[in-house]
Amino acid sequence: MSIQEGNNANIKWIGVTSVLFGVLLIANHGNEILRQFVIVPDSVAESAVVADCRPDELEEENLSLKECHLMVSNVQIILASSPSWFRPVSVCLYLLGFLFALFSLLSGMRFITSPDSAQRSLRASFVSLTAIDFLIFATVSTTGPLLRSIYLWPNLLWFFIHLALLAAVVSYNSGSTQEVN
Amino acid sequence: MPNKVERSKVFSHWLIAISIFFLFVSSWWMLALPLPSENFTYRQLPFQLHKNIGITIFLIIIWLLTIRILKARERFHSSIKKSEKLAERVHLVIYFLIASCCISGYLSSSYSGWGTTVWWLLDLTSWAEENDSLNILFSDFHLWSCWVLLLAVVGHIGVALYHAFKNDQDIDKMYRW
Repeated sequence: MSIQEGNNANIKWIGVTSVLFGVLLIANHGNEILRQFVIVPDSVAESAVVADCRPDELEEENLSLKECHLMVSNVQIILASSPSWFRPVSVCLYLLGFLFALFSLLSGMRFITSPDSAQRSLRASFVSLTAIDFLIFATVSTTGPLLRSIYLWPNLLWFFIHLALLAAVVSYNSGSTQEVN
Repeated sequence: MPNKVERSKVFSHWLIAISIFFLFVSSWWMLALPLPSENFTYRQLPFQLHKNIGITIFLIIIWLLTIRILKARERFHSSIKKSEKLAERVHLVIYFLIASCCISGYLSSSYSGWGTTVWWLLDLTSWAEENDSLNILFSDFHLWSCWVLLLAVVGHIGVALYHAFKNDQDIDKMYRW
């Protein structure tokens, strides 16, 4: 008697985790795109304007005066450490990542109900997301230590998540065609 | 094949899921931006977007609740499993928490003196005078209800993953497009 090992194994988890990480990645990349649109070069944080830390606002936000001043430094760190090409390149990469995350979410949903027909699109989405993670990593690596400290580690985590999911989708393919006696 | 209502429910579920995670991640980030003043306007766009997404989620929740109530009437005489009953209650708690986050956020914003423009198209009429103590009260309520919501969402995802790994059919309908 022969059974198809891949068909017997529970492969639903691949689709479900793809959907879960797709949702989280859309949120993450959406926020990154927003960040790039909010913190723009030549904005007020680059000039010598001092933070406006009104006592009532500090109380409202539960902040110390020092924290209030450091919030401006937070923006200055991004502006001072971003080369001029960084913003347009990262907007493009995060936008692409956002779209492929959406694609992986939809493919993951299809994979749960019909894995055979959705497998190709799910594989394509993870190949693209892994490539985008790699490109973001390479882009940030060429900047200074301040940006690297913000971006590199979370980016590496996403890279391995997508690599693991890609391996899972690819192994489903080989598992389903391998016959076990 | 799922019908139109089922499809729109699935769509709403995932739209709300993405929006809630986006609101969490963006709020943690935007609250570290410089406090608003004449010079520093970094918070303007993220806050408007935050409020707009919150208002939209609230409207979707009202719609989903309406469907749920109408369906509950239909199923009044039919017997449902214990686990389904529990799931129904948990969903209602999550809806309640989402609505609480939205309402407290809206009230906090109303008492803060900052206006709200719905998707940059419609200015919402300001019905409340600026009031710092009420703003802080509702802002605290917003904060804590959102932490509880995050906890509930984590539980919800944990249970969904459990059913997926167990390979039962309980969650399949949420992935049917």
